[in-house]
Amino acid sequence: MRTELSPRLKLALYGLLCVLAIPFVFPTWWMVTSSVKPISQIFAFPPELIPHTFDWSSYADVFRLQPFAQQYWNSCYIAAIVTVGTMAVSSLAGYAFARIRFPGSNLLFLVVLLGLLMPTEVTIVPLFQMSLKAGMVNTHWPLILVPMLGGMPSVFSTFVMRQFFIALPVELEEAARVDGLGRFKIFWTIALPLARPALAAVAIFTFLQSWNLYLEPIVYLTSPEKYTLPQALTQYVDVYQGPMWNIQLAAATLTALPVLVVFIFAQRQFIEGLAHTGLKG
Amino acid sequence: MAAVAIRNVVKRYGANTVIHGVSAEIADGEFVVLVGPSGCGKSTLLRMIAGLEPITEGEIEIGGRVVNELEPKDRDIAMVFQNYALYPHMTVEKNMGFSLEHRGASKAEIAGRVHWAADILGLGALLQRRPGQLSGGQRQRVAMGRAIVRNPQVFLFDEPLSNLDAKLRVVMRGEIKGLHQRLGTTMVYVTHDQIEAMTMADKIVVMNAGRIEQIGTATELYDRPANLFVAGFIGSPAMNFIPGPAMGQGAGITVGVRPEHFEIADGGLAGRVRLVEPLGSDTQITCDVDGIEIVAMFHRRVAATPGDTLSLRPLAGETHRFEASTGVRL
Repeated sequence: MRTELSPRLKLALYGLLCVLAIPFVFPTWWMVTSSVKPISQIFAFPPELIPHTFDWSSYADVFRLQPFAQQYWNSCYIAAIVTVGTMAVSSLAGYAFARIRFPGSNLLFLVVLLGLLMPTEVTIVPLFQMSLKAGMVNTHWPLILVPMLGGMPSVFSTFVMRQFFIALPVELEEAARVDGLGRFKIFWTIALPLARPALAAVAIFTFLQSWNLYLEPIVYLTSPEKYTLPQALTQYVDVYQGPMWNIQLAAATLTALPVLVVFIFAQRQFIEGLAHTGLKG
Repeated sequence: MAAVAIRNVVKRYGANTVIHGVSAEIADGEFVVLVGPSGCGKSTLLRMIAGLEPITEGEIEIGGRVVNELEPKDRDIAMVFQNYALYPHMTVEKNMGFSLEHRGASKAEIAGRVHWAADILGLGALLQRRPGQLSGGQRQRVAMGRAIVRNPQVFLFDEPLSNLDAKLRVVMRGEIKGLHQRLGTTMVYVTHDQIEAMTMADKIVVMNAGRIEQIGTATELYDRPANLFVAGFIGSPAMNFIPGPAMGQGAGITVGVRPEHFEIADGGLAGRVRLVEPLGSDTQITCDVDGIEIVAMFHRRVAATPGDTLSLRPLAGETHRFEASTGVRL
């Protein structure tokens, strides 16, 4: 039975939570406010939490110095394809591992899980060699195919989906079999619609992974018009290779925007999805 | 409607045999209950009839057709599951019409059948709700509705009342029985509750450890149990088993006496009263007779208190004799 907290204790707890939130909120606040400060004020001491003048020119410079719109589009469509593709692959694979008994299924699942233990740095050189041979260097294909078909996001998502489908009552599928459905229709009309919370978690996780991908783009991509956002952010430097802080922070604000929007709107489903799979953070 | 024949059916999981060659005939339109303790194989047998579990040996026939190799959808059966197995993301109406939809029925036909079933089960006002918005009893009715819209040859029920409270169980028991009388369709019903079995069944199949112990009507099983297991399983409170010598019989005999077949009269077993349970019109008394616990039930009020000594005499012609070593009725 839950005990009702006293108002004083509640207030103290909220106060504590606010203090604990500072390390997470402050960098975001600093990024957004600094993006509209003149460069001379960014490192002023004491720091100005609310700028007294607003300089929007850095936002114009973001688009003037690089094909930022094109790079934004690159990140958007790559993340979208990877997200949808990973949802499809991981839900099918997760369902198969959860429900279809075939010889060696557990061993195969273990092999798939081993993918989580393999650091990207270990696999990136052979993958680069393969991409080179396939003529895919300086294209977006490695950034789409690798995470979707065998990278960490798809392995993790397969695990999440498998856990969800295992928890789904078998009787639902048996009822569907009696009702006249075959294996794929059971997956499509019964299991998948019920897996919405898990799919939402997979979608958000995969989208963020793809959106934030940094090492792979700098290995595979060489032309600025092919860059994705994390890679593009590093290109806002002056002639001495020093960062142009206000422009970089303006670009970073624009980059963080969709992620914040996605998380604000889908945080409940994201947490529910992970709770369903028993993967509480 | 169809008859069901189960012939020498065996079920093995690896080296473990859970059904040992059982055979039973279920007549067209009959209400048959498979009853037995947990793990006796009754649900496995039902699932084999449904096609949800492969048959290791033997054959199952539905409506004169061997169905061993047929998928559940091709057996023309409908099943009600223990946890109802309603699709949580669909409305009651959609749940009930789902099977018809996937069998290519027209929208008008689906609507007609769903509303017919909803009328029978009193679900008319709930058609647009989702299962999560229903009570246990309502979900149970929807599960039955989903089964009857298809007008199958055989209904299969897998402990459908075990998630309901005692009061609702009695109500739903009556509803299922009423449904059988109304539709006249063959029903095979699994339960571990012998009261449910006795009140509902035309014929009861008593199972134990993967074998059929006895098949018969409720009164046949009650009046002439084939062995000690059936004698002890059917009837509540359970039959008393008394070693033969205590009843003037041979050492290899076990005598069974039902609790209501005792009278308080001279010349009986001297029992020290341990517990008196007044049940309104009846009185249940538990006595200790030379270390053997005897339960007696009297359809009247008995003025006895713990520590008293009663002489419990079995009614003439109401004792059952079993061979102690095999448990078989003599």
